[in-house]
Amino acid sequence: MQGRLQWLVGLAMSLVLGASQAATISLRGDDGVLLTLDKPATRVVTLLPSLAEVVCDLGACQRLVGVDRYTNWPPQTAAVPVVGGGLDPQLEAIFRVKPDLIVMAPSSRVIARLRDLGLPVLALEPKRMADLKRTYSVIGQALGIATADQQFQALQNGLKGVRAAVVKEWLGKRVYFEVSDELYAAAPDSFVGETLTALGFENAIENGFGPFPKVNPEWVLRAQPDALIVAEGTQKGLASRPGWSGMRAVRAGRVCAMSQTEADALVRPGPRLIAGARWLVNCINEMPPPAGSE
Amino acid sequence: MTTPATPKPLLVIKDLSVSLEGARRSTKVAPVPVLRSVNLAVEPGTWTAIVGPNGAGKTTLLRACANLLGRRDNISGTIALMGVPLGSWAAKDLAVMMAWLGTADAFSDGDLSALTAWDVVALGRLPHQRWWPALAPLTPADEGVIQAVMMQTHTWQLRAKPLMQMSSGERQRVHIARALAVKAKMVLMDEPLLNLDPPHQAEWIQLVRSMAASGQAVVSVLHELNAALYADKVVVLVGGRITCSGAVSDEKTRAAITDAFSNRIEIRQLDGHWVALPRL
Amino acid sequence: MKTTSAAALLFFASVMVCLIGLLVGGGNFQWPWVAGQDAVTATIIGEIRAPRSVGAWAAGSLLGLAGAVAQGIFRNPLADPYLLGSSSGAALAVALCLSAAGWLGADVAGAAFWGGLLAVGLSGAAFAGALLAVLLTVALAGGVAQGTRLLLGGVVVGVVLGALTSFLVFLAPNVLLNMQGFMLGSTALLNWSAVLRMTAIGAVCVLIAMSLAKPLDALQLGERTARSLGVPLGRINMAFIVLLAIVTGTAVAHTGLIAFVGLAAPHVVRAWLPCQHRALLLLSSLTGGLLLLTADVIARWIFAPVELPVGLLTALIGGGYLLWRMRRVGL
Repeated sequence: MQGRLQWLVGLAMSLVLGASQAATISLRGDDGVLLTLDKPATRVVTLLPSLAEVVCDLGACQRLVGVDRYTNWPPQTAAVPVVGGGLDPQLEAIFRVKPDLIVMAPSSRVIARLRDLGLPVLALEPKRMADLKRTYSVIGQALGIATADQQFQALQNGLKGVRAAVVKEWLGKRVYFEVSDELYAAAPDSFVGETLTALGFENAIENGFGPFPKVNPEWVLRAQPDALIVAEGTQKGLASRPGWSGMRAVRAGRVCAMSQTEADALVRPGPRLIAGARWLVNCINEMPPPAGSE
Repeated sequence: MTTPATPKPLLVIKDLSVSLEGARRSTKVAPVPVLRSVNLAVEPGTWTAIVGPNGAGKTTLLRACANLLGRRDNISGTIALMGVPLGSWAAKDLAVMMAWLGTADAFSDGDLSALTAWDVVALGRLPHQRWWPALAPLTPADEGVIQAVMMQTHTWQLRAKPLMQMSSGERQRVHIARALAVKAKMVLMDEPLLNLDPPHQAEWIQLVRSMAASGQAVVSVLHELNAALYADKVVVLVGGRITCSGAVSDEKTRAAITDAFSNRIEIRQLDGHWVALPRL
Repeated sequence: MKTTSAAALLFFASVMVCLIGLLVGGGNFQWPWVAGQDAVTATIIGEIRAPRSVGAWAAGSLLGLAGAVAQGIFRNPLADPYLLGSSSGAALAVALCLSAAGWLGADVAGAAFWGGLLAVGLSGAAFAGALLAVLLTVALAGGVAQGTRLLLGGVVVGVVLGALTSFLVFLAPNVLLNMQGFMLGSTALLNWSAVLRMTAIGAVCVLIAMSLAKPLDALQLGERTARSLGVPLGRINMAFIVLLAIVTGTAVAHTGLIAFVGLAAPHVVRAWLPCQHRALLLLSSLTGGLLLLTADVIARWIFAPVELPVGLLTALIGGGYLLWRMRRVGL
């Protein structure tokens, strides 16, 4: 009798413990620190634009109670209070919105201070496709959204679908993607570089100099990329860059000019990559492909 | 009549040669010597004036006496203060024995200094104060000395005035007072009469004479020959060498002085005093 | 005006501004005693505004002291606390730490090791970097005896270390934002332990500096005259340079680079109350504290809830006062 009672108590305790264990969420951020939440977060502050986009893509946009000043998509975020930037957040504003989760890029001093104040901070900074996958997974766990991984998979599938729409002659051609007017190009190692590769293009820039190397314009001229993808404002100045008027792509007008929105969509690791990729493929499809001999 | 025994010299310089580190024209050429084989003895209770043309090395000689040459300057020969080589003296002990008044250091740009005249003269008592002098206040004896020297230099009425508000003459007198406040056995002054008008120059001469009379040794580099001719001993320095050293009353000394200035001066006697006049 | 009354006045003014600082912030103006009932506001005032205000005062007083020391030993009215290369040293150390962490923590697991170290480590690294840069300057100048060589050495070290930092950033561009964020002058992230550290170091250093004030006065008469008065130039210079390095390093480690406070504070004191170094060091420290505190409060207040960079305010306040003063004196 005694033994059975003990056994029952033991079972009850393990059930209770098991239940409470099932309720707590353990999250490991990019800084390696473990964050434990009692329940899925309902008041979220994001201090990085891509993170806000991911949260909204997971359907939890209404849970955002604070965003950083650079967040500009989706339109619902405009109604959310701005609490400063990633490196200079306004502590008071954050505190006032009583978040139960803050997601931000690893910035040691700020994170240390926020944790000091007892706020739950998760450090995430998606820079590559693999990071984005992890971001979706971790944020999904934090928000208690079980479909997070599927959502990311949908992105991957969507990308495959966009690739299928690429005109055959353009597959394998070399493209040059410029992220900034000062000749900072995107290498295959960057998020947008991975997107370009996934779409079946070859990158005119090689790996080995970081994700966004500052390139020598002479080198690009010699590489003779088949298409150039630059910002709107830069497009006009392309021909006036020394020697570039002789570039085949410039002469033939095989230049895709991005607006700020399109640039954000492509460069920022986030759910908009499909929309960005679609725009890019449309732009490229419209351009006559380079002849085989070129 | 027996001559009174000459007092033992305070400072003895033997065969001093100095070449300054900054005076080297290139690393391959040997540095130009500024002083060559200088021999000098300074007795207590005397006023020695060092004269000579520009660039003769007068300031370097004075700095050598005060142990204020740069660490990289080449010095050969010996300088002994009371028998002990200068280099062996502890800084504090030397500071009590010797007071220094320089030119380049003399405060020309008073903008930064909010020190009052009293503060500056009080710094002259630093050698006598115990270590961590900020914690050791000035004793009444110190204050007495400060007041006395300020009255002697007619700077007492300026005591609350900051240095930056003074004229250059007033500042010079404050610096002289500071040098006097040390009450050192030997006082070395480089161009002390700069910026002083004739009445104050005359006062300085009287002051130095009384200092010598009370046993202090004063060595001054002077451009004003007429003041220098009041000294007990004149040392003539030309091209780094001492050409002559002795009393003005000595014909040889006067000849050496005239010679040092390329015979562009005449030394005449006037009412019992010697004066130097430019020879036109 | 006597030193003690001036010091008391500065301290009282600082307390007043600090109290105002407790009221100013995210836009909601609430009297503290009313706010006691609301836990969030109480935390905001007690844990964010209070340490930030007191911290700004503490950092400012460190910088004010450093500025007075720098101007004293170099006898140069343009000297500021960073002239021996401490700021470049701190920046380089922070950049090195960040890139090493980034390189070693390439995977999440590796980052875990550095995550904890980084929080305290970056401040510690900045402090160490500042000290090492000063050491390098002293070595380059061949000792502490000559002021001009030290100044020159400081310029060289500053430029070279700055170039190295740029090179590091070129190799690892992801370091740039984080490092700039760290070095950007900011009082926003000060907590109570930072305040404690800065105040403790500041108090000790002010006392030590004041006890060495007389030799610093003697130094104003010129290096030769100071030597003739028995001042051990080498040891005094060394003591002050070490003090300068520690004080500046502490300030930079906690608030990043805030310019102008160290430069302006001694001038403000001198313009108002000419005095010897014993008083100048203390009053400069208190003035620096008041200056940075005021700048911090205004930075939070004027366009609340948006915050202006505090360095902008220190330049405007300090520079503006000096400009006004210069015109009055007719310089």
